[in-house]
Parts: sequence; structure tokens; C-alpha cells
Amino acid sequence: MTIPVTTKTPTMPFVARRTSVRAGIHAAFKAVTRRFGWSTISVLGGLVVWELISRYLVASKLFLAAPTQIAAALIELAQGGELQKHIAISALEFFSGYAIAAIAGVAIGMVMVGSAVGKQMLQPWISGIYATPTVALAPLFILWCGIGVASKIIVVVVLVIFPVIINTEAGLLTTSKDLVETVRSFGADSRQVFLKVSLPSALPFIFAGLKLGIGRGLIGVVVAELFGSRAGLGQLISQSAETFNMPALFAGVAILAAAGIAMTSGFTWLERRLLPWKD
Amino acid sequence: MTVPLAKLSVAGMTKSFQDLDVLRDISVDVAKGEFISIVGPSGCGKTTFLRIIGGLEKATSGTARLDGRVIDGPGSDRGFVFQHDNLLPWRTVFSNAQIGPEIGGYVNAEQAKRTHSLLRLVGLDGFAGFFPRHLSGGMRQRVNLARALAVDPDLLLMDEPFSALDAQTREIMQTELLRIWEEGRKTALFVTHQIDEAVYLSDRVFVFGRRPGRISEIVPIDLPRPRPLSVKRRPEFVALVDRIWQLIEEDVRASVLEERG
Repeated sequence: MTIPVTTKTPTMPFVARRTSVRAGIHAAFKAVTRRFGWSTISVLGGLVVWELISRYLVASKLFLAAPTQIAAALIELAQGGELQKHIAISALEFFSGYAIAAIAGVAIGMVMVGSAVGKQMLQPWISGIYATPTVALAPLFILWCGIGVASKIIVVVVLVIFPVIINTEAGLLTTSKDLVETVRSFGADSRQVFLKVSLPSALPFIFAGLKLGIGRGLIGVVVAELFGSRAGLGQLISQSAETFNMPALFAGVAILAAAGIAMTSGFTWLERRLLPWKD
Repeated sequence: MTVPLAKLSVAGMTKSFQDLDVLRDISVDVAKGEFISIVGPSGCGKTTFLRIIGGLEKATSGTARLDGRVIDGPGSDRGFVFQHDNLLPWRTVFSNAQIGPEIGGYVNAEQAKRTHSLLRLVGLDGFAGFFPRHLSGGMRQRVNLARALAVDPDLLLMDEPFSALDAQTREIMQTELLRIWEEGRKTALFVTHQIDEAVYLSDRVFVFGRRPGRISEIVPIDLPRPRPLSVKRRPEFVALVDRIWQLIEEDVRASVLEERG
């Protein structure tokens, strides 16, 4: 099936006057914005301003690094194999924690809707822990589980699981009673009602919760590593800060930002593929 | 009244909410292949009556039998067409229409072919892969109808399925419904507010009165079939509409005044 796609094209095409230089620049600018979009221009412009500020205004390696210096640091760290090691450790921590939180979060959310007793027993804990700034517990987990990977995974799980639980619950609760009645009219049992109505109708909510979890999980990895670790991007950042190596510090931050953007947009893509019925 | 070998047989059906009798002691038979419309003022219990037959609600007392079996809950021997289309937004037109057989667990190639031909019958050929949000209100109600027919029900139950459509689409849907119904002549119960719709579609019209809900009169409609839309301008048709309107007018007035407080 193909859905007609409407592309936004200006109804009044720009009429270039060949004699006017201004018009020429204007036309070129329009062509660029149409080709790359305003976001690209905004990002590139920001990078240029950043570069200029760190070269001419701040001009101190102790406080700020220019984008070009950060790029150089990235290449250097990658050539030594150090960057890959940090990324591998942080990725392991993130994905293990995220996977555990996703599965457990959806399961707990389902229990909260499916069982009144379960809901009553879990609700106070969830409300309480969710309202607590749980990153503050990271030093405790490190004390308990050591400075290895395990303590970081726990921090990620604790940060990611709550939006998943809360959204799963909310999604299942907003299931339309009319739709449930419709499948019941065809003789559906409660298992079929859950699989054919409640779950698919909750999926957009669950996805939203998982998407929120990406950013929170990345924060968890970095903060936990800052408190004590042998390797990882957080460790790279804290070590670089201690030695006033600004380019390496920003390199760590840049990797994290890129990972966050890549995963969030990957998720949006996945969402569009899995939920094509949504706008 | 008793019809020999009734398809649907309702005996002493009463439905109460607390002290209020929504339906009181309804007894009526419907023959195989009959098209019955149910009209009446708001609050006369006509939708409740349909929902009890559909197994979506339980009667306080009395029974409804379909082919002799007491109705005790929903089942695929009945196809329910809902007032709001209630299509699952994440399913395509085809997959929405297939939900009954899917729940019954008898989906196979032949069944799928049958559903495709039902979609053709309701005029949605070529829309099988569309999602409901891409369809108009009239098209969605066609899917709603195809979904009910897909389980090949003994009894088709329709709860004001055209009430949300504009007047022109509704007229077209009425002729379409008759055309589709002529194909299989399923026994049908059709609840509506529109008296002319009831007369146009039906073999008999059950006129419900209110407080308590009961059948105040059964009006046979002996207009010849097939019925073109122009039948609505014939004097017999107009006389029937007029007669039914007179039967419920007082009740409608009472219910309107009550709603106004």
C-alpha cells in the first residue's frame, strides 16, 4: 500500500533577477535551506561560532576546546585504541541495564494493571523511588558491587525502569473499553483481549517510555562511572578533567551526545516501522 | 405472537437497574431470514435489548433463545455491528474484518478468501491494506459490517450503525445494507432512531415504549423487495412512517421534556 506523500514546496517559486547580486545570494541561501534544512544550518553555524570563540575569545586550553581540537583528540584516542575500550565498556553497561529495565519494566507495568494486590504492593515503592533522585544512590551501589560493570548496570536499571513501568501501566489503562467489548462480542477470552487489544493499544506508550529511558540510561552510565570506575566514557571524562585535557573531555561528551541522538532517532525509525498506523 | 420454528425466541425478558425496569417482560419471536428494526424514544431500552441478545449484557430474568439454545454470553453465532465502528486502529481493513475468525481460531486460506469477497461485497475492494484512519466514516462502517459478516453469523445485530453518518451517506448505506443483506438473507435486528430507515429496511418494525421498556406494537412492512430509494416517496411508505411516528410521539415528547429537566 502506498500513501500519497505531500511534499512542501513553495507555491510561489522565487524569481531570480540576474542583475541583482542580493537576489543571487538569496536564491543560493534558499537552495541550501531547502536541500539541508534549517537544523543543519543551525548546527553548522553553532560549530563555527564555537570554533571562533575558543580560538579568539577564550583562547585557553584549560577552559574550552575548539571543535577542530576535539576532532583531533577523537582521532588520536581512536588510533591508540583507548576510545574503543571506553566505548565498549560504557556500551556494555548501558545495553545490559537497558535491556533488563525494558523487560522488567514492561512486566511490572503489566502486573500493576493485571493484579489489584500487585498494584497496591508496588505503587508506594514506585512512587517513592521515582520521586527520589536515584543517581544519588550510585556511590552506594559502587560500595556494594565494586567499581566494575555491575554497579553501573544497577544504576542504569534504576534510572530506566521507572518511565517504562509508568508508561506501560498508563498505556494499558487507556485501552478503549469499546474496543475490548468489540473483541469480546466475537467471544474473545481475556488472553485474546490482552494480546489483540490491550497490548497493541499500549505499545505507543511503552515506546515513549523506552525512548525516555535512553537519555536517562546514558546519564546513569556516566554518573556511575564518574563516582568510580576503571574504564568507560565517564571515566575518560573525569580523568581528562583531572588532567585539564579539555579536548579529550569534550571528545567523551561528543561520543555520548552522538550515541544519544543516534539511539533516539533509531528508536523513532523503529517506531514508525512497528507502528505504521500512528501518525 | 409466535412464529413456528422461530430463529430467535425471546420469553419474559426483563432487565432492571436497581428499581428501574429498563425492559419489562418482553416476549417476541423472529423468523429465519427476517429483517427486524427496533424503534422507540431515547431510554426505551432498545439498545439494551440488542445487547442482551448479543450477550454483552445479562437479562435480570427471562431468556432469549437462538435456534433453541439459550443465549448466555457473546458468541460467533451472532455478528454485532456497533454504533461507533470500533475498528482496531493498528489493524488494516482486512485484518480488522478477519478478527472474528481469528478469535475463533479458524483462519485459513479459504477463510481469508471469504473475507476478501466480503470486502468486495461491502464495496471496499482495493482498501484491504488501508488503516482505519485513512477511511471515511461510511467506509469504516462498511468494515464494521464486513467484520460482523465474516463470522458467518446466524443473527446480525446492528446498533444504530448509520447514526454518525451524514444524511446522504446514510441513505446510500441503507441501500447498500439491503443489497448486502439480499445476498445471504441473514436474520437481522436493527436498532435505529430514524423511522424512515426502519420502514425502508424491514419486514417488521418493533415499536418500543418507555418506562418500562416494552414492545408497544409490531408493525409489518409489506412493501415489495428489492426496494429502491424511491419507495420512500410512495404513499404507503409515508403512511407507515406516519403511523409509527404517531405510536411513539407521546413517548418522545415525554423523554425530550425529561431531558430538558
